[in-house]
Amino acid sequence: MSEHEHKPAPMVEEVSDFEILEMAVRELAIAKGLFSAEDHRIWTEYVHSLGPTPAAHLVAKAWLDPEFKKLAVEDGVEASKAVGVDWVLSPPTQFGTPSDYCNLRVLEDTQTVKHVVVCTLCSCYPRPVLGQSPEWYRTPNYRRRLVRWPRQVLTEFGLQLPSDVEIRVADSNQKTRYMVLPVRPEGTEGWTEDQLAEIVTRDCLIGVAVPKPGVTSNVKWNVHKAVHPVEHH
Amino acid sequence: MSKQHHDRNHHASIATGVGDPQCFKGKAGAPQFKAGDKVRIKDLPDLFYTRCQVYARGAVGTVTQLVYESPAAEDEAWDNTDAPEWFYSVVFPQKELWPEYPDEFSNDTLETEFSERWLEPA
Repeated sequence: MSEHEHKPAPMVEEVSDFEILEMAVRELAIAKGLFSAEDHRIWTEYVHSLGPTPAAHLVAKAWLDPEFKKLAVEDGVEASKAVGVDWVLSPPTQFGTPSDYCNLRVLEDTQTVKHVVVCTLCSCYPRPVLGQSPEWYRTPNYRRRLVRWPRQVLTEFGLQLPSDVEIRVADSNQKTRYMVLPVRPEGTEGWTEDQLAEIVTRDCLIGVAVPKPGVTSNVKWNVHKAVHPVEHH
Repeated sequence: MSKQHHDRNHHASIATGVGDPQCFKGKAGAPQFKAGDKVRIKDLPDLFYTRCQVYARGAVGTVTQLVYESPAAEDEAWDNTDAPEWFYSVVFPQKELWPEYPDEFSNDTLETEFSERWLEPA
């Protein structure tokens, strides 16, 4: 046996600089009395309870009820209440989430307009109705390229649209948070709200995919394995 | 702006139960622009902090709607909430932002928001 195999396995494989920074700032904030460890626990649990289900149901409801669709497009915050999310009062703060604010805008796709959402400046995302953003949404690659080459990026997600469809990129740079209300696909006639919500995936709500009957998972890529993977010694 | 005593709960006290940007409703006065107006994005100095993208500066777009009132991000970053402004959603043809954008896709657009200080009539 070689020397290094006797070393104990690390408890945590990798801690990034940003995780260390977060821990340091959090501990300082608690020591200074800005918030308590209990506040932090409540907040973390709230954030981890979120997911894309409310937004998927909001879309399904809008497909089934034209009046509700009108409300969703005019006042996303009010419409969210119908799917159990109060943008102001659901978060433990009682004034929304400090980085998400309380101004949801539902972008309605048509046969000739396709919306897609990005935040070029950071990673703004409608977390109360969509949960945590996927890792790729926060990468500089997606954020820089979507505004400038939206068709190429959408093609990488498997979505190719003809030139008579207007692609409208929504860059959430201020206090509005966007979600996409896609066009209801053919082949879903007579479906219930639950059936419809199942095909409204997170990717459809960001706008990088369109709903299809039978497709209930997000876009998957072929991942090439590292030729020389990092080993933890 | 300098304050002798900094009240770090100021934002929580005005926003609790109301929401942000709702807590600034009615505080920005009369809006200078309306939906349908053509506007040019100013290229103001942005030492320290801004949320106005460099790619939009100098570009001409159309106001789609007035979205809310709020302190500009450039003020709010320093907790200065004294002078809320109207915020506008503005849509641009992609070709206006990126001259090399292909003619074949000239229908494509981009929509984003600006506080009033960044806009001038075009």
